[in-house]
Amino acid sequence: MTNDRRLELWLPRAMSRRRLITGTGAAAVLLAACGGDDTATSPSTQGGGQSTGGSTGTAGSPATTAGGSATTAGGSATTSGATPTSGGTLRVGLVGSTNDLIDGQYIVSKADQARCVTGWDPVVNYDTDFNISFEHSLAEEIETAAADNYVIRFKEGLEFHNGKPVTAEDIIYSFQRRIDPELNLAPGLAELLGPDGMTAIDDRTIEFQLLRPAVTFINSLAEYTTTIVPVDYARFDGDVSTQIGTGPFMLESFTPGTESVHVKNPNYWGSGLPLLDEVQIIDFADAQALTNALASGEIDAAIDIPFAQVATVESDSNLRILESQAGNWLVITMAIDQAPFDDVRVRQAMRLIANREEMVERVLAGHGRVANDMYGVLDPCYPSDIPQREQDIEQAMALLAEAGQENLTIDLFAPDDTAGLAELIAVFADQAQAAGVTVNAQVLDGGTYWGDEYTKRTFATSFWSTRPYLIQVAAGSLENAIYPETHWPPPDSDFAEKYEQAIAETDDGARCEIIAEMQQEEYDDGGNLIPFFYNLVDGHAANVRGFEARPNLLNLDHYGRGWKNIWLEG
Amino acid sequence: MGIAKFIVKRVLLGVLTLVVVSIVVFALTQALGDPVEAILGREAQPASVAAMREQLGLNRPVITQYTDWLTGLVSGDPGVSFTNGVPVLEVLGDRIWNSLFLMLLSALVSIPIAIAVGTYAAARRDKAFDSTSSATSLVLASMPEFVTGLLLIVLLATNVWQVFPAVVRIRPGEAPWVDLGALVLPVLTLTLGVVPYVSRVMRASMIEVLESDYIEMARLKGLPERTVVWRHALPNAIGPTLQVIAINIAYLAGGVIVVENIFNYPGIGLALRDAVTDVNVPVVQFIAMLIAGIYVVVNLLADVGTILVTPRLRTRLR
Repeated sequence: MTNDRRLELWLPRAMSRRRLITGTGAAAVLLAACGGDDTATSPSTQGGGQSTGGSTGTAGSPATTAGGSATTAGGSATTSGATPTSGGTLRVGLVGSTNDLIDGQYIVSKADQARCVTGWDPVVNYDTDFNISFEHSLAEEIETAAADNYVIRFKEGLEFHNGKPVTAEDIIYSFQRRIDPELNLAPGLAELLGPDGMTAIDDRTIEFQLLRPAVTFINSLAEYTTTIVPVDYARFDGDVSTQIGTGPFMLESFTPGTESVHVKNPNYWGSGLPLLDEVQIIDFADAQALTNALASGEIDAAIDIPFAQVATVESDSNLRILESQAGNWLVITMAIDQAPFDDVRVRQAMRLIANREEMVERVLAGHGRVANDMYGVLDPCYPSDIPQREQDIEQAMALLAEAGQENLTIDLFAPDDTAGLAELIAVFADQAQAAGVTVNAQVLDGGTYWGDEYTKRTFATSFWSTRPYLIQVAAGSLENAIYPETHWPPPDSDFAEKYEQAIAETDDGARCEIIAEMQQEEYDDGGNLIPFFYNLVDGHAANVRGFEARPNLLNLDHYGRGWKNIWLEG
Repeated sequence: MGIAKFIVKRVLLGVLTLVVVSIVVFALTQALGDPVEAILGREAQPASVAAMREQLGLNRPVITQYTDWLTGLVSGDPGVSFTNGVPVLEVLGDRIWNSLFLMLLSALVSIPIAIAVGTYAAARRDKAFDSTSSATSLVLASMPEFVTGLLLIVLLATNVWQVFPAVVRIRPGEAPWVDLGALVLPVLTLTLGVVPYVSRVMRASMIEVLESDYIEMARLKGLPERTVVWRHALPNAIGPTLQVIAINIAYLAGGVIVVENIFNYPGIGLALRDAVTDVNVPVVQFIAMLIAGIYVVVNLLADVGTILVTPRLRTRLR
């Protein structure tokens, strides 16, 4: 019976940072805000006019063309020489809620991520070195004519789940949907590309004319939500038959908050793939129930095992832990235009107080690696030659004394809904005592924390996932950034100009030089205290084969690239 | 007729209680937070925010919102979910039945056990069974449900033995009894939460009854002790216990929420948790009223049951 109060104008939920971590328990959880690219490299394009060949995946295969590419992915599954077998049902557990959605080009939570990757393929992807690759994606070549003009050629013979071929109309529709201001799926891309910026050269080659020069356009193509959908595609609204994509599995049923069932796509462009017959993605209330389900064999794989449970899972001979290094980071932020942090010496002092190794032990239970106050660690332009900052209490106290801030007392805030932040401020407060600094660690309720005061506080915390350096700068380190947490850059700095230069620079070497300068400035004077990068920690049953522990942006080895390489042994 | 009038009075009182509860629930959910901000996020355009407030009916005066909601509730239409516009009953659908089934099953298991334990302890007063069950009851009563639940999981599902599943998986469209083995641990958790209280009260009531004259008479007549206890004492001891039984059954309605979270049981407990986080007011209100309704109904049944079981009170009604 229809309800005449039913919402007609239901607006798509805008991305809220809090939503992304609701319900994910103690494991590190955090997810890109929409609009930011979820990746860590600058594009590996050559100087203008040359096309990018596909860089190779871990299996060492050459640039991929239609169809054949996927078999190289099959190669990586046979790590111990066992032969992959077809068939079977994989049950994957993760934390979800009745707010789950299915949209080939949009996600809010990790549950949505998993479902998106299962049914849709991105335009380009990253390999394990975070260079652009075409191994798991729909494009086969990108030609960079200029920083604002790109020609993308897609693989031949691509089909959707219903057998319909992928055409230029579908590709153009997909991009127009991505930048549609009403849907607001990718604000970052919408600033670069206008609805008339795409021209079909032939049925599988499209020219993109950007509104402004930006080499970060290619990074936006590598987002796992930049997928190709059929013309007139819309978000799941109750009818599974509308959820058509190009991915390895097709949607058979979906009950938000409970489970979704995906069946093998017989028309998948990766020949011989996927290996499984069916994938069930099952929602759990919290990470504890999820871990229990894995331990008692109710599910075959689970994402975000709480750090405290990792040892238990490892000691179970039927289970395996899958740990990937990524570039996700937690941060203590200092507003550079508010006392006492408007004095750069106080900022430097705080960074010298931190004992980063201890933080990795106490906050992450060892599941991470020390950071150097700079983000974008997986970006090829990351300046690894900058010396690692170590704890130096003496120097910190000297700087504070110079700035007239010895025996400083200050409040530091964290939310209660993000794994690791409450622990981080407690540990930092401990460490600060040695320097005579009294830090009042205050944990606020999540709703309050991310409310009006967020990005206005003097001394606070935050979380970010892996991004290329320039994308992260746009997200948090410019005056008009989406989340300007530290109110960077300082007024007399040319950081913003360098950013404009960098995104228009198509030569990798030149761009890396500019980025190195920008990173150096943030390293010296910035308001971010970044102590570590934390790992993604997942678990699976021993008979689930095909996952590899390698640097990744998403859990479970990028969800097995839509589970296509995953098979069940025995 | 005394009883009929009594029942009618009690029902009216129950309805009045529910009305008062509805006012309190409505007032409290207004304090949950701003649903529009929860749905659209912090950076929503003022135009979108205004449009959504209009759609959700938040611009109407509070009294109108309340009366509209109440009339809808009574006529079987508790509104639509704020987050996706789907009618609340459709959103909760199977979950309501799943939760009710779990409650019912737990009640059917725990109450007879509690009565039996209390009776036996009273009959063998101060002996081994009595002291052991007293001590155990005390320990169980002091443990919060989630502790009991997690201990059972560690003991029987994941660590020590692996006899039962650690989670309950009911797939959409399946009946909740499709996998009774999976229900053992949740029901056991709830049972261990209820038995201590009911058995203690049963024991106390039974002790008192066993000391009364007519029991003495029955024993003097030579009836076997078993008959004395189960046929003569028990029906009289149950009366006072019915109120406690009612409270505990109603408590199950709330206890189910904790258990659902631990065992990932697809019921209204999980839906409530999500709804609160999302400030999904209609869903929260409906679940609150549902649980209140269960309380009122169960208490009503207990009152009526007490009357029926206690002839003295029946005569007083005339």
